[in-house]
Amino acid sequence: MAASIDEPAAIAATAVAATPGRRMWLATWSQTEFKIGLVLFLLLVGTAFIYPLLSDIDPTKLSVRERFLPPVFLEGGTWAHPLGTDQLGRDLFVRSLVGLQNALMISVAVVVLMFAFGATVGLVAGYRGGWIDTILMRLTDAQLSIPLIILAIIILTVSRPTPFSVIVVLALAGWPVYARVTRSVTLAERRREYVRGAKILGASDSRIMWLLIAPNILPPIAFVAVLDIARMMIFEAILGFIGIGIQPPTPTFGTIIADGRKYLINAWWIATMPGGFLFLTLLSVNLMGAALERARNRLLRGTI
Amino acid sequence: MGFALTFFARRLGQGVLIVLLVSFTIFALLRVVPGDPARIILGPMATDEVLEQTARDMGLRDPIPLQYMRYLGQVAKGDFGTSFIKAKGGGSMGGGRDEARGERARVLDLVAETLPLTLQLAGLALVFTALIALPLGIAGGLMAGRWPDKLALYASSIFVSLPNFWLAIVLALVVTAKLGWIPSIGYQNIAYAILPAFVIAIEMSPLFIRSLSVSIADTMRHPFVELAQVRGLSPRRIFSHHVLRNAAVPVLNLFGVQIGALLGGVLVVEYIFDYPGFGLLTVQAVLQRDFPVIQGIAIISTSIFVVINILVDFVSAQIDPRIEY
Repeated sequence: MAASIDEPAAIAATAVAATPGRRMWLATWSQTEFKIGLVLFLLLVGTAFIYPLLSDIDPTKLSVRERFLPPVFLEGGTWAHPLGTDQLGRDLFVRSLVGLQNALMISVAVVVLMFAFGATVGLVAGYRGGWIDTILMRLTDAQLSIPLIILAIIILTVSRPTPFSVIVVLALAGWPVYARVTRSVTLAERRREYVRGAKILGASDSRIMWLLIAPNILPPIAFVAVLDIARMMIFEAILGFIGIGIQPPTPTFGTIIADGRKYLINAWWIATMPGGFLFLTLLSVNLMGAALERARNRLLRGTI
Repeated sequence: MGFALTFFARRLGQGVLIVLLVSFTIFALLRVVPGDPARIILGPMATDEVLEQTARDMGLRDPIPLQYMRYLGQVAKGDFGTSFIKAKGGGSMGGGRDEARGERARVLDLVAETLPLTLQLAGLALVFTALIALPLGIAGGLMAGRWPDKLALYASSIFVSLPNFWLAIVLALVVTAKLGWIPSIGYQNIAYAILPAFVIAIEMSPLFIRSLSVSIADTMRHPFVELAQVRGLSPRRIFSHHVLRNAAVPVLNLFGVQIGALLGGVLVVEYIFDYPGFGLLTVQAVLQRDFPVIQGIAIISTSIFVVINILVDFVSAQIDPRIEY
């Protein structure tokens, strides 16, 4: 009998001791999807960053004699070029791997930037309230009502696309979502005991915002930002595909697929193989993201 | 009725502000960046004097707010201007001063030609989305934690990982080129909308599957569902009258937010399938720096977004009286 009375107390004690971020992490790790996604992701990313270093194939080297080589599982394919070669005889496997490196670096930078900006706006709007809140939220409304992709295309067509401008444009287009989520959580957090207590003790507003509220509410939002890495990889690829992303000769998924589209009927693998690669990467990120999202929902409901 | 009137008055007022803000931003953006509209119209051969004269005639050297007010004045009269590039009967015009401005296509006509095709595509895409998302989402929500839930999770993870432009290329290759089942490149009749609509549906459905299954699972945990069982209502009646009604609100709101994404998806998919709709018009206008068309599109698409969101919020409030706006 004594044990059964002590048990809930013990659970409550550990629950109080663990931060929301840690509880969410434990709930995430217990899901199979997360582990599948993580293994797939590490495999793909590990290959992407290590294989091009070991291989002596240059992703931008042209080779007229090896044009349009099919992938290894088709007749005429060789293991030297497992995914075949493109219209200029470049190895598609190495090009996809370098494309994956570029896509990852860009999308991670984008997500970090838009999270920082969106969370700041949301925190200030939610905490200050009043006219600052009204102005900031009407701005996010306005921005949300332009499709992200239209905004990105307009800015990138009229300016010159560089890796830096691609990152800034995508971040600019994606921050309002973070502003909204952060604001709504801040609104609820502002009324909690500890915030009022800190106020009575004379803590400044910026101290309360950045040192008290932010560490409590931001980790769960940051975890779900993983899903946006996948979203931004797709957008980066779309921009490259339309021709306003990072410019050739740097291999990106978008430019490889756009090139391959011209040879679709006779050499279908040029456009489809790198896309399959991109799909697997996105799938791994999305499986992890879905697990994180579920864990966050359970955290918000208070069941973990 | 009083509620409906004040609601629409307030929201429409806010909506007009949003449209103005968006259109001014794009207007200013297009004026600030390099790329002189006069140069686009005249072509690379024109001398600098002619260029400067044309720019002055068109009012391009006036302050941006003044230009914007003038533009708004014309829009208020229903005149969105004429395209820099597109000719009236279709096709594009090269640079050159001889061509009379009257022959250039009016922006409003261009939109009127393309919008119905896009609405058809978007409507079909929504039907496909419902066909995919409703069964998966509802089954996943009702049997949370069991195999339909897992199926919904994996299906939506796979759908959301398919890059739309890549899926479009693969479908065009396999279904149209190799198998010859459904035509897709260009537009002759509604059959040409099937594959593009399917690609958009695959892109949209994951969010709806997740939102549906989460909100249904949440609703099922409410005490009123147990109470309904105690009252002896049939599971079918509980589901259709109580659960679905409550779970519909978040899904409906998601729909409002997703209109922007739907437009984005339409844009890419129309570009790939060469489907002559609003999205293709947008991509072409932007790539050719056809400023009047871009501005017109920005105003019209933002207005559509705003109106749909107002309607969504209104319907949500009708379904769930607890919601206040």
